[in-house]
Amino acid sequence: MIHFDNVTKVYANQNRPALDHVSVDVDKGEFVFLVGPSGSGKSTFLRLVLKEERPNSGAIHVAGKDLARLSNFKIPHLRRRIGCVFQDFRLLPNKNVYENVAFALEVIGKPRRFIRKVVPEVVELVGLEGKAHRMPDELSGGEQQRVAMARAFVNRPMILLADEPTGNIDPATSIGIMKVLDRINRTGTTVVMATHDAAIVDSMRKRVVELEDGKIVRDQSRGVYGQAY
Amino acid sequence: MRANFIFSEVWIGLRRNLTMTIAVIVTVAIGMALLGVGLMINSQISGMKDFWSDKVEVSVYLCKKNDPFPQCKGSGGVNAQEQAALRTQIESLPQVERVEFEDAAKAYANFRAQNAGNTVMLSAIQVGDMPESFRIKLKDPETYGAVIDGLKGAAGVSNVVNQKTILEKFFGLLESLRWAALVVAIILVFAAALLIGNTVRLSAYNRRRETGIMRLVGASNLYIQLPFVMEGVIAGLLGGVVAALLLIISKVFLFDKVQEYLANTPLTWETVATVITLTMIIGVVICVLASFVTLRRYLRV
Repeated sequence: MIHFDNVTKVYANQNRPALDHVSVDVDKGEFVFLVGPSGSGKSTFLRLVLKEERPNSGAIHVAGKDLARLSNFKIPHLRRRIGCVFQDFRLLPNKNVYENVAFALEVIGKPRRFIRKVVPEVVELVGLEGKAHRMPDELSGGEQQRVAMARAFVNRPMILLADEPTGNIDPATSIGIMKVLDRINRTGTTVVMATHDAAIVDSMRKRVVELEDGKIVRDQSRGVYGQAY
Repeated sequence: MRANFIFSEVWIGLRRNLTMTIAVIVTVAIGMALLGVGLMINSQISGMKDFWSDKVEVSVYLCKKNDPFPQCKGSGGVNAQEQAALRTQIESLPQVERVEFEDAAKAYANFRAQNAGNTVMLSAIQVGDMPESFRIKLKDPETYGAVIDGLKGAAGVSNVVNQKTILEKFFGLLESLRWAALVVAIILVFAAALLIGNTVRLSAYNRRRETGIMRLVGASNLYIQLPFVMEGVIAGLLGGVVAALLLIISKVFLFDKVQEYLANTPLTWETVATVITLTMIIGVVICVLASFVTLRRYLRV
């Protein structure tokens, strides 16, 4: 589903590569933790999958598409197959839960009838039934992240990228977030989650890819966060 | 593509930047109105040139008794022999299409007709005061120079007047007006483009959250950019409508009034409509271009 072949990314005005000859394969339906200290290249990895950045060398395939040969015109279609969740939720403050989730479908031109049917289902899937008409500032951090996950998943993407989704959330609430991610993963969606949260990685027992200074130093199925941190 | 989504976004954007939107509308309106006035003067000039080129004549005035012109001093006015010689000379010139003799009686009749309301003038001037003249119609009005030079010193000629040189002063004034209007229009169009760029940049900044999410969930570039471009288009169209009103007003109160004095070639509504259409199109195209150029810089896709 995601295939990196010897990928190197150097940002302009920086000597050290953000990713240094990285090769990794993520299969369909997998759940992968991307761990490593800040600046190790986790976010760069996610940005490359979305083609927000281009690699300096190496090949990237996402959902069967060679990103180097994907024209700018087709990038939006790639992104429709990838959902994204961030540490800072990125909700629209002037729209309620339902509207925030529906926005993702409206802007890709889905018919209103479809939106009315699908959005409540997804709001329920992330555990926010009965709160569809709350505004983001009336929700807790954990609930806001659930809205963001609903928005990321509402178009049934093949891949869900999560960049430290529990970074702003207390450990008890994080467990709920991870349950939702696990539920999404069980529908067949590939999940890649960048995180610093050792407890979560250890409890989930999923594949762990560890980056350090842009290099993969560990790739372990059913791994733990590691002792070094 | 959902039209009501786009339009609600456009409306929000225009309302948030109300002052900028007004500035854009005013600049576009004045710029386009001046451009339109320039184009209207242009069509006016060519219409008037056509009208006058049929009518302009070179007048060769003949000496009369006690004529104050230095060439005529001492002579008791033109005699029949000189007059016949002049006619032969004029008719032999290759540039001349036809020549007519205007005697004092005819000149006096013309003079009376032109000054019908002016009783003082009419009572003061007698038939004998009117100069006789040859009225020359040229094949090509531009070739008057040689004709005038050839006739100016001839015996019995008091003065040679080319009506075209009088008209040309007037046309020169119109032409500089046209250029002034066009230059100011170009400067304003440039200012309008910059203003639109700024407006779009402001609304791109105001809506960076929305566009960020749209990008993330895979909205197409067109869908993301269209509300911004539409903002520019609507501001440009409103400016164009104001410009159209200004042009119609200037036709009724300026061009038509001037026409009453100058020539029987009034500006047609058809011309005004063409000019309005043209300025509208130019205004909107400039707005669209300015929006797109700005979006490419401030709305990375």
